[in-house]
Amino acid sequence: MRTALWVGAAALPIAVTLWGPPMAVDIAFRACALVMLAVSWNMMAGAGLISLGHSGFWGLGSYAAILVANDFGFPFWLSLLPAMLCGALVGAGLALVTRRLRGIYFAISTLAMSEGLRVIAVMLPDLTGGSNGVYLDSSLSPGMLAVELLACAGAIGAVAVAYAVARSRYHFALRAMRDNEAASQMLGVAPARFRLGILAVSGAIASLAGAINVWYGGYLDPEVAFDLQTTINAQIAAILGGIYTLPGPVVGAVTTIALGEITRLLLGNTVGGSLLVFGLVLVIVVLLLPYGLWGFVERQRRRPRRAAARLEISEARQ
Amino acid sequence: MALFPQFVIDSLLQGGLYVLIAVGLSLGFGVTRIINFAQGEFVMLGAYGAFWLLTLCGIDPILAIPLLIVAGFCAGWLLFQATVRRVLEAPALNQIMLTFGIALVLQNLAVMLWTGDLRSASPAYATETWSLGTVVIIRGRVIAAGVAVLLVAAVLVWLRLTETGRAVRAVAQNRDAATLLGIDPLRIYALSFAVVTALGVAAGAVVSFLINITPFMGFPILLKAIAIVVLGGLGSLAGTVVGALVLAFVETAVSYYVPEGPGWTEGIGFALIVAILVLRPSGIAGHSVAA
Repeated sequence: MRTALWVGAAALPIAVTLWGPPMAVDIAFRACALVMLAVSWNMMAGAGLISLGHSGFWGLGSYAAILVANDFGFPFWLSLLPAMLCGALVGAGLALVTRRLRGIYFAISTLAMSEGLRVIAVMLPDLTGGSNGVYLDSSLSPGMLAVELLACAGAIGAVAVAYAVARSRYHFALRAMRDNEAASQMLGVAPARFRLGILAVSGAIASLAGAINVWYGGYLDPEVAFDLQTTINAQIAAILGGIYTLPGPVVGAVTTIALGEITRLLLGNTVGGSLLVFGLVLVIVVLLLPYGLWGFVERQRRRPRRAAARLEISEARQ
Repeated sequence: MALFPQFVIDSLLQGGLYVLIAVGLSLGFGVTRIINFAQGEFVMLGAYGAFWLLTLCGIDPILAIPLLIVAGFCAGWLLFQATVRRVLEAPALNQIMLTFGIALVLQNLAVMLWTGDLRSASPAYATETWSLGTVVIIRGRVIAAGVAVLLVAAVLVWLRLTETGRAVRAVAQNRDAATLLGIDPLRIYALSFAVVTALGVAAGAVVSFLINITPFMGFPILLKAIAIVVLGGLGSLAGTVVGALVLAFVETAVSYYVPEGPGWTEGIGFALIVAILVLRPSGIAGHSVAA
């Protein structure tokens, strides 16, 4: 049953991309990109690392891809590798720099990283085109279908990586780090090493999403690449769907995109409308639905074992 | 070095303003241990409040400050009771996401109500200048820095000399001990959140005639405040004053003496954040609690 659901969820965006109407294809693409971001964000959150800097990884990947394509003529497929490498290196670098930082301190340093990268992109116009932006050399484009299909593959791959991590021994170490890093260290987990691994993987996934997106959009400037909105979307998708779970970010990403579309239909193109709704969603979910949509579903199914669930909650609160 | 006197004066004026922007965030964190990501939006709302009071009622932004402080205090109290109260014991993640969500709501309410157009409150003194030899001083900036220093001094006096202020510091230092002494920590949290909101709104009135007012002005201001608070040590008010001056001097120095400096100044705060978190996470002033 579970496997069938997963296969269906994986096949859906591919089918839509191949046979759907253009608007549905666009929605599927954005959903896939957001799945990658949300999975990557959730992976960090799972290790107790709150990211406010996912737009940094996203923007870095976009710039890496567009620059190797324009300057060295890298084709689509090949440009994704340096993008992922940049994301992984910056993630690893962040892990080394923030070795001792936890909670809010880590969150602030990711925010500083992302905003710092934006300033650098503005101030190095010879490399990045600066505020004027840079267009992708369209002669290199492999066609929209290839880009869209790769986004589907990227989303499926990201979920597969998250699944592999969740099934491995890593999972328990990361969960122990989330609950209490000092205690996990005493039990023989090396938090610094795990942090390095998880940030590198998570950074690479977010950068890959940005790189694929730039081939879809074809244009980049620092404000677009490092838009705070990207971080906000990743957070909302993961939290709305249910953090610390595997299906959560997927459910959340699809719901977030759907919410965006619905508010656009209802409010027309009122500026700020969909962001207002996102903000309300964030407030409501944190206050009323702290386990997200998927957590809510799981809890409903396990109703008979209510006492056990209550115990879990009280444990989680501590 | 002909620019030097001008550089010192500009840095000091900027520093005064930075203290005002950051003091709310610092006090809020010191007491509730929550970084309020909506603090920048309070500044934005204060700036709009001052703008509309000037445009519609002809009330000068400086004279509007008491009015705005009362409004901000009430709004902050209500916001605390409706939302923040419920995440006091929650993991840091929930606290960050809640205040982030509030910030998004406030920002986009402003976009929908007042559009994204740039506005500016412009009382006569905003652009008048004094010149002393080679040094040029904009009157509006002097007034702003003066008001900022007065407001921050008022907060410090409140914390040091009044019974309630001492209760706030007690809760910040050791909540359980304060509770044993008969202080209701929830009431103190609500009170300090309301004061912090009022401070943000007052800061908005002060910047309303210095920079452009837009619905998006809050986030960059929040980033500056975070940089200052981290620089000074989270939760330390004395550290916040030092952090504000350090940021102001370094930024002004870079924009005066480094080629293409003005463009880089925006990044200085982030570089300082990373440097201080790596080298000395407790901040310049070391770790201490409110005031």
